[in-house]
Amino acid sequence: MSKSRPTYSPLYLDKTGKRHLIVSDTAEIPAEALADGVTPDMFDERWTIAGHSKAIPGTERGAVADHEFRSMNHLLIALRRRLGEEKMGFRLYAVGAEGFLWEVRTAAVVVGMGGGEVQLNQVGSQARRVFCNHCRTITEGVTTNIVECAGCGANLFVRDHFSRRLNAFAGFQVDAEEPGDIPEIEEIYR
Amino acid sequence: MIRHDPLMLRVSRIESLSPTLRRIILKSADNEPLPVAGPGAHLSLTLASPKKVYRNSYSVVSFSGDHYELIVRRVEDSRGGSAFVHENLKEGDLLPSTVPLNLFPIQVGSRKRLLIGGGIGVTPLLSFAKVLQENGDRFEMHQFVREDEKAVFENLVQGVGSKNIHIHTRRPKEGEIQALLEEQPLGTSIYMCGPDGLMAAVDEAAETLGWPENHVHREVFGAAGGKPFKAKLAKSGCELEVGENQSLLEAIEEAGVPINSLCRGGACGACMTSLLEGDPEHRDHFLNNEEKDSGKLIMPCVSRAKSAQLVLDI
Repeated sequence: MSKSRPTYSPLYLDKTGKRHLIVSDTAEIPAEALADGVTPDMFDERWTIAGHSKAIPGTERGAVADHEFRSMNHLLIALRRRLGEEKMGFRLYAVGAEGFLWEVRTAAVVVGMGGGEVQLNQVGSQARRVFCNHCRTITEGVTTNIVECAGCGANLFVRDHFSRRLNAFAGFQVDAEEPGDIPEIEEIYR
Repeated sequence: MIRHDPLMLRVSRIESLSPTLRRIILKSADNEPLPVAGPGAHLSLTLASPKKVYRNSYSVVSFSGDHYELIVRRVEDSRGGSAFVHENLKEGDLLPSTVPLNLFPIQVGSRKRLLIGGGIGVTPLLSFAKVLQENGDRFEMHQFVREDEKAVFENLVQGVGSKNIHIHTRRPKEGEIQALLEEQPLGTSIYMCGPDGLMAAVDEAAETLGWPENHVHREVFGAAGGKPFKAKLAKSGCELEVGENQSLLEAIEEAGVPINSLCRGGACGACMTSLLEGDPEHRDHFLNNEEKDSGKLIMPCVSRAKSAQLVLDI
C-alpha cells in the first residue's frame, strides 16, 4: 500500500478539546465510525446530511445541538463560515465517504487547524474520486481498477496515490503505449 | 558561499538603551557576506574576558544583510557574560561567533500568531514582529515590562510600525492570560519568551483551553546558576567543581573535555549527556517527563544537581 493512501481509525472524543462538532455525510451518524464507548451524544453538536429538501438548518452556535443539511455543499458552506468564527480549543470530527472527509479537512486546514484538531474516519462506500493526470478532470464514484475518464475518455488506471490537495486518487492512461491494450476491468472499490 | 563556525564579527556600534540594556551592532570582520539570520535565530558569542571565556547565546533582533542587531540585558546574577558585554565590550572589538542558528522559527500554516514576551524576552519576538508586519501576516503582541522601562520598550517596538503591539507595565493579572487566549481564533499559534512564571502561566492557560501543544512555541533563556556541586566525569577521569554562577556545561568546557552544545538554553538537545549517578535538577525543555524521571540523562547547559555530586558518562 502506498504511503500517500490515508488510513483511518474509529473516532474518539479528544478530551483535551473544549468544544466538539461531528459532521457526517449520512442522515444518522454511523455507530461503527466511533470508537468503543463513544456515542454521538457525547459531541456538543452533530451536523448530518439528510439529503432532502425539508432540511432547514439554523447554524447559530450552541442554539441547537443537531442540524440537518440538504447536501454536502450545503453543510460545507455552513462549516466554512463556522470555522472562520471559531476560537482555539475547538475539535472537528468527520465521518463518511473519503471525498467528504477531505473536503472537511481542507476547510479546517484553510483556517489553520492542525492534525491533532481534526479526526476523520471513512465509512460506507470505498468508491474513489479519480483525477485524470492528462486532462485534469475528476471522475466521481469509481469502483473499478480502470475507468473511462469523464473528461477526455482515456482509460485510466486508478492508482493508490491519493492527493490530499486535490482530494482524489491519481489516474493515468493504461493503454498509452498500445492503444486498446486494456487489462481486465475489475470492481474492487465498493 | 556557505560559512562555518567560527564566524568573525566586529562590534560596529554599541548603544546604551537604558542602564541595563545595550544594543550591539555586529558586522563581518573580514568583509565576507554574513549568513542570513531568520526571525528567531540566535548567535552564540565567545566572550573572552580577562578572567574567563564565556559562551553566551543572544537572539538576533534584526538582520539587514551587512549586520546583526543584538540587545543584551545586564542581569544581576549574571554568570559573567552579560556583565562583560556591559562593562568591557568596546566598538571595534572582534568576537568569534557561531553562524546563526534557529531553534525558534516561525512555523508556516498559522492563521494568526500571538506573541507574548516578558522583559528582555522581547528580543526574538521583535524579530518576528518585524517580519510578520512586513509580510502583512496577522499577529498580536503583548509585552510585559517594568514601569521604569516603558519608554525603552515603546521605542523598541515603534520601529515595527504595528498597532497590534501592546506594552503592559506590570505582570499579567489573575486570569488575564486565560482571557487573552480564550478569544484567539482557530489557527492561532503562540510564540513566547520571558520569565519562567510568565511562560508557565501561558502554558497552563493554553492547556486549560484545549490548545494543542504544537500551537505553543517557546524560547528559553539559559537558566542562571544555583547551589555549587561536584561533577565527576567517568570516562575522562576528572572531577569538577561547578560554581554557583557557572553552568555544568561551562565547567566541562573549562576542564577541556569535548562536549557538543548549540542553544545553551536547554532547548536543542545537543549537549545531552548520560548520567551514571546522582540526583539531577532538570531545568531543560528538551527531555520529556519520562526521560527526566529516569535520571539517566541530563542537559548540562541548564540543569544542575540536587545531590552533592553527579557522575557523567563522558
